[in-house]
Amino acid sequence: MWLWFSKLGSPKWFYELSGKWLPWLAAGMSLLLIVGIIWALLFVPPDYQQGDTIRIMYVHVPFASISLAFFPLMAVAGTITLVWRMKLADMVAKTAAPLGAWFTALALASGSIWGSDIWGTWWIWDGRLTSMLLQFFLLVGVISLRSALEDADAAAKACALLSIVGCINVFVIKYSVDWWNTLHQPSGSFSLSDEAPNPPEVWVPLVIMIVAVYLFFVVSLILSTRNEILERERRSQWVQELIGAN
Amino acid sequence: MKAHRQKKLTIILFVAAGLTVSVGLILFAMSQNINLFYTPTQVAEGEVTIGQQIRIGGMVKEGSVVSANDSLQVRFETTDFIHAVPIEYEGILPDLFREGQGIVAEGTVDAAGVFHASRVLAKHDENYMSQEVKAALDAAGVNTETHPSLVAPES
Repeated sequence: MWLWFSKLGSPKWFYELSGKWLPWLAAGMSLLLIVGIIWALLFVPPDYQQGDTIRIMYVHVPFASISLAFFPLMAVAGTITLVWRMKLADMVAKTAAPLGAWFTALALASGSIWGSDIWGTWWIWDGRLTSMLLQFFLLVGVISLRSALEDADAAAKACALLSIVGCINVFVIKYSVDWWNTLHQPSGSFSLSDEAPNPPEVWVPLVIMIVAVYLFFVVSLILSTRNEILERERRSQWVQELIGAN
Repeated sequence: MKAHRQKKLTIILFVAAGLTVSVGLILFAMSQNINLFYTPTQVAEGEVTIGQQIRIGGMVKEGSVVSANDSLQVRFETTDFIHAVPIEYEGILPDLFREGQGIVAEGTVDAAGVFHASRVLAKHDENYMSQEVKAALDAAGVNTETHPSLVAPES
C-alpha cells in the first residue's frame, strides 16, 4: 500500500496514467452530457407547480452538488502536502481552487435564475444561499492567498490550512436547510415508485446529469493538473524528452 | 508513519476539530438570527416588536385569500397550523402564490397583529412530479403536501 501511495505521488506516473484515462473519461462525459441535456430539456414532464422552469434543476443541482466536493478534496490534498510533502497533492490542490470557484459561481447563477422565476427574487440572505456565497469567497481567498505569497512552499502550506478550515463551511451549506428555516427547499429524496413525489421520470435524468458534471469536473481537474505538472517539472528529464519527442 | 509526521497529523486534526466545535457553537448561539423568518406562532405570541422590519413564513391558509377588484390589494392569512397571522399586501404576487402554498413575506406587524407586507416570496417544497402523477395521487387521496420547514429550531 505504501508503494502505491508513493507511486501516486510521482507526477510522471500520474501524467502517464491520466493520459491513458483521459479519452475514456472525456467520451463518457460527452455521451452522458448529451443524453442528460436532451432528456432534461425535451422529455422530462413539466412539474405540476413549476412547469417548464423545473428544467433548471437539471443544471443547478449537479453544479451545486459538485461544488461541495472542492473543499474536502483540497483539504485532503492539503493534509497530504503538510504531512507527507507530496508534490502531486499540492498541484491538485492548486488547480482545484479556480475550478471550484467556477462551479460555485455557476451553482449560484443557475440558482438565482431559478429563484427569480419561482420564488420571486434573485437573491435572499438565507442560510443556504449565504453559506454558498461564503464558499465562493473562500475559494477566491485560496486563489488570492496562493498568488500573494511569493515562496511556493509557504503558499502551499497556507492554502492547505485555509482549505482545511474551509471544509467546515461545507457542512454548514449541506445542513443549512435542516438547521434553520430558509427560503431554499431541503434536498428531496428519490422515489422508486412511479406514483409518488420525485418518481424515476424526474430523477433518472438528474442522476445522468450529476454523473456527467462529475466527469466534467474530473476531466477538467486532470487536464489542469497535467498542465501544472509540465509547468513545475519542466526541468526534469522526462518532461524535456516529452517536449523533444513532440 | 514517522514520528514527526504523526505529530503534524495530530496537530492538524486537533486544529480542525477545535475549529469545528467553535464554529458549531457560534452558529448554535446565532441560530435565531440565521433563521430567515419568524413563524406565525412566534408573531402571535408577541416575540416580534411592533413596527420592526421582519420576515414571516408560513402556509397561505385555505379560503383566506381576499383580493380587491379594483387594485392589487390582497389580504390573506398565513398559518403554521397552530396560529394564523393576517397579512395585507399590495403588489404583484409570485406565480406560485395560491392557497396552501408556503410563502415568506417581508414587512412589519402593527398593534392589531396585522402583518403589512412589502414583498411576498413563494417557498416550494422538494417534491417534484408531473401534473399526471400529482392528479393520480390527489385522486387516490394521498397527501403530497409537505409543509416546508415551518418550525423554527428550538431557541
